[in-house]
Amino acid sequence: MARSALPLAALLAWAVGAAVSNSCYRSPFPPPSEIRTPVAGAAGDMFSLAFGLRRLFADVWFIRLMQYYGTPEFCEHEEEEPSAHAHHHCGINGEGKYPQFLARSRHVVEIDPGFRMAALYGAGSLAFNMGRPAEARELLVYALKYSPREWKYLNVLAAIGYSKAEDPAAVAALIAPILKDPDCPVMLKQQAAFLNKKIGNYSAAAAIYADIAATSRDLAYVRNAERELEKLLRKPPARPGRG
Amino acid sequence: MRILRLTWAVAVNSFSESVRHRFFTLFSVFAFTAIYASVLAGVMAVDQEARVLTDFGLALMELTALAFAIFNAASVLPKEAETKTIYLVFSRPVPRGVYLAGKLAGSLLTSALMLAVMGAMHLLLLKVRGFGVPPCYGWALAGSMLKLCVITSFAFFVSLFSTSAVSTMVISGVVWTAGHFASETRFLADQSAGVKSAGLKAAMWLIPNLQLFNARDLSGAACSIAPPAFLSAAAWVGGSYLAALWLISKKEF
Repeated sequence: MARSALPLAALLAWAVGAAVSNSCYRSPFPPPSEIRTPVAGAAGDMFSLAFGLRRLFADVWFIRLMQYYGTPEFCEHEEEEPSAHAHHHCGINGEGKYPQFLARSRHVVEIDPGFRMAALYGAGSLAFNMGRPAEARELLVYALKYSPREWKYLNVLAAIGYSKAEDPAAVAALIAPILKDPDCPVMLKQQAAFLNKKIGNYSAAAAIYADIAATSRDLAYVRNAERELEKLLRKPPARPGRG
Repeated sequence: MRILRLTWAVAVNSFSESVRHRFFTLFSVFAFTAIYASVLAGVMAVDQEARVLTDFGLALMELTALAFAIFNAASVLPKEAETKTIYLVFSRPVPRGVYLAGKLAGSLLTSALMLAVMGAMHLLLLKVRGFGVPPCYGWALAGSMLKLCVITSFAFFVSLFSTSAVSTMVISGVVWTAGHFASETRFLADQSAGVKSAGLKAAMWLIPNLQLFNARDLSGAACSIAPPAFLSAAAWVGGSYLAALWLISKKEF
């Protein structure tokens, strides 16, 4: 090839490369206008975009979310008590207020919309532990925008509806298929076991607790599952469907 | 046939030089240490330990290989010119295109070996922690390799006109970063108008879209790399090679 033709050939090759990538690439991620950093961490978000490390930074945000949710809150009325010893934790079972929970869990999904477990964990905690079904729905609707065929989101959405109508049997039935999925958060499994116990379906509850004890790496959930299993084994068998 | 034989000879020579280079050992040690450190982060993620370990490992592997690839590509040609080794090569019947292709192939082979070694370490680490091979792992590594191919060839081109290895590394680093902003650039171009939009659209043609190869960040069925991505990578590598060949053919050795 003549030397003078080399720059033209190079430009042509680059143009082909750019044309192919411009025509076939459709971003599966939310646009930057949808990314709202809830607390300090904008630099991390910048790195996640600049180095193509969305999954990694979504993991970091998820760990921060769990740390946030795992830090017990103090009851407001007790914070007014003069003695520090009078304080006790309100959110010991995850029931606290956690005002940033929705923003933080939504942010994980904004960074990595494929992080289904984070969306399920966030929605489950909001709806079933904190009693904020509207916020749980908001999170799931956002997650569905980027994973419209995700049946687990649809099931949890329906379960939230039944939980509002105080129909634990329907909620348990809707959550049941999600339990076998690797994306299912242990918190949702615990919720399903609790609901099955509530409606008298002890064998199903025991099976879920046994699964938690065998598969979870979260010692708090494992210990609770073992305790519950022991209690259930002592109970006489009951027919499902009786509240 | 003779050209292929010559290219292979230069590539093997370049590859063995890189492997013997102390930086390769240093980077391997760094990667191993960094991956081990990611175990700590994995423990914090409790039930998501497998995912966190995988993501940390893959990201660190890519960044380590990138640092080595850019450093190697930025210094290999200037060093050969400085030590006059290049004169010795061109005093023999070795065409400049063959020499350049051999050097580039050697550099890419080194990056591939580096990714393979770190990948093996990472999988071993996952196995020790009780996890299997993560889904899409092969695609993630293939995507990282494609990105390294594009950026290494670009760094070769830049090293032939930049004033120092540091400036080559900086320019390549900027292109790497901008290449990951492809979808954001497109979004901004669509949102803006006039000169701003035209400038952003021009940037989309001038900067390789590295997100196209970023299988590491995708999950499920979407994680596979489509055939057009391979074509795009080949075109970017080919373009950089031709541009570098043009520059090297103008130089007097």
